[in-house]
Parts: sequence; C-alpha cells; structure tokens
Amino acid sequence: MGAAQAGNGMAYRRLLGELRVWLLNFYARRLPPAYVEDAVQDALITIHEKRHTYDTARPFIPWMAAIARFKWIDRLRAMERDRKEELPEGIAIADHESAVTSAAVLDKLLSQLKPAQAQAIRLVKFQGYTVEEASARTGWSVSLIKVNIHRGLAKLASIIQVQAHAD
Amino acid sequence: MQTDRLVDHLVADLVPVKPRRTSDDLVLLATIGIVELALFFLWGRMRADTMIALSLPSFWWKLGSLTVLTIAGAATATRSFDPLVSPRKGLRLLALLAAGAFLAGWAIEPDHVATAALRAISLWRRGLDCVCSMVVLSLPAVVALIVLMARGAPTDRNGSSLAIGATSAAWGAFVFAFDCPHDDPCYIAIWYLVGCSIVTLIGSQVSRRMMR
Repeated sequence: MGAAQAGNGMAYRRLLGELRVWLLNFYARRLPPAYVEDAVQDALITIHEKRHTYDTARPFIPWMAAIARFKWIDRLRAMERDRKEELPEGIAIADHESAVTSAAVLDKLLSQLKPAQAQAIRLVKFQGYTVEEASARTGWSVSLIKVNIHRGLAKLASIIQVQAHAD
Repeated sequence: MQTDRLVDHLVADLVPVKPRRTSDDLVLLATIGIVELALFFLWGRMRADTMIALSLPSFWWKLGSLTVLTIAGAATATRSFDPLVSPRKGLRLLALLAAGAFLAGWAIEPDHVATAALRAISLWRRGLDCVCSMVVLSLPAVVALIVLMARGAPTDRNGSSLAIGATSAAWGAFVFAFDCPHDDPCYIAIWYLVGCSIVTLIGSQVSRRMMR
C-alpha cells in the first residue's frame, strides 16, 4: 500500500488482487451469497478512496480489516432497511366482524339477567355442557339449572322484543 | 468479471496521495479557530467589562473549562477519523471533564444554588440569546470537522459523529464566553448546557448523515 500511495500501479494491481481474495473470504462468511460480490466491490472502492488514511508505519491488515468490517456493518444496515417479506397467498381470511358483534350483543343481553340464569345459559347453551354436567360444575340441582335456563331465555326473549319495538 | 473491470478502473485511477496525519487536521482546526476568534474580536463582540471579568474566578473557570473541553474534543474527533482509532475512550474522558467542570463551578459558588438556578431560569430571554449565539459560533467548527471527517475514514459512525457534535458545541461556547456578560456559574451551567446540547445534537446528526 505504501508503494500504491506513491503511485506505483503494478504494486497496486497486485495488492487489489490479493485484497479481492481476502475480502471474498471475509464477506462469504458474513453475508448471503447474493451480496458478497457487491460487498467486495464496495470495500475495494472505499479502500481506494481512503488509501491516504493508511499509515505505512503500522501494519496493513488491521487497517484494511477495519474498513472491511465498517462496510460489512453498513451492508447489514442496508439489508435491514431493504428487507422485504413476501406475504403468503392464503393470508386473506374472512373478517370476524359479525361474530365479534354477536358476542358483544349477547354479553350485553346476558348482563341484564340474574347471574345464575346467565351462568346456566352460558354453560348449557354456549359451551355445550349437558344439564347434568352443568349441575355437577355449579353444585346446583338439575331442576334448578333447567328452571334458570327456562326463565333466562324467556327474559332474553322479552328484552329483545322490547328493544325491537323501541327500534 | 465485474470486479476485474473495477480493479482495472481503480488502477487506472491511481495517483500519488499524501498520507493523512492527525496533527495536520489539528493544525487546520486551530487555524480556523484562531481566524474565527480574531474576526469575532474585530467585530467588536468582546464584552465591555473584560478587565473586571479577568479578576473573577468564575470567568476563568468558564474559559478554562471550555478550553479543555474543546481541545479534548478536537483531539478525540480528529483521532477517530483514523479507521483504527475508536472515539469511545475520548468521549468518556469528555463526559468526565464536563462533570468535573460542573463540580468546579459548584465549588466556586456552593451557596444558594436553588436561588441562583431560579434567577438563571428567570433570565430566559438572555439565556436564549446566549444559546442562539453559541449555535451560530459553532457552525465553522461543525463544517471544518465534517470536511476533515470526509477526508478521513472513521469506522465508528455514532462515536465520531458524537465527537464532532460535542467538539463543535464546546468550541461555540468557548468563543461566546468572551462576549457573554454572565459569570454566575449556575447561569452558565444551565444555559451553556442547553446551547451545547443543541449543537451536539445538530452536529452529530448532520455529520452522521454525511458519513460514508
């Protein structure tokens, strides 16, 4: 590099040839194959432009490695900025608007019932438990579960009817 | 194949170059600083009560602290333009020096800090004038350091840009200290800190964007 700084073209060509091999190995271990050649060229251009910053009193390899590493970090940043992820074709799905709305409306209606009636309806009508399972789960008798469901549904019907009239 | 052509192009483009020396950068910076200071004095911006101020310990504290910070910052920034030199140690030293300067200022006038701080804040119009002056006076240092950075090969983008911002801020405050009529350490600590923070932020952001 000292000779290149003085303008020796032959020495510079030999140096660039050796640098190219070194840089190829350096970037091949650190970058995806598609980016390696570009990174090598980028580093060669930078080394050429910044050759005056090399101090001939110091070893050459650490100077070159510092520049190669800087350009590597630069390239990683650029890759991060330019990262594009293809969306899978099956990503489009039906919306959940009606289900969400129904759940919200039902929750609002159930909140107007007595807690025991609402719980019995939730267990048997929404979550699929049998009357006996609901009885075992709540500790209430089977007949009480049935009565709560019956009265709860009747009240729900009347609430809905009133609201329909009001609308 | 493309790389072969690039090598041919680079060899054809080869011209002798003069190796970069950090000392050359420092001499250039000092020259720019002296010219700016001379123009500043010729413009008649030196404070009218300079002779009185020279007898105040707070004036010397202000000037001395900013001189040390400017020199340490310039050395850190220009050294970091060498690809093998990290500015991190220099930046830590700068932070310690700044903290030491604040402590020294507190030692000069340890009493009634809260009252002095309130008084300093109440002088916010003058404070903002000081901040604006510091920003303008730091511009030559920002430009000079960015030019030197472009000639060098810094490899720590964040560190070098922060060193450029901090050095420019210290330099702008140093030049302004000859004009500033305030010697109250609390006023200086508050408003110089605001001015230096703004210059550091602007200088580091601009230089960071221009670093290749």
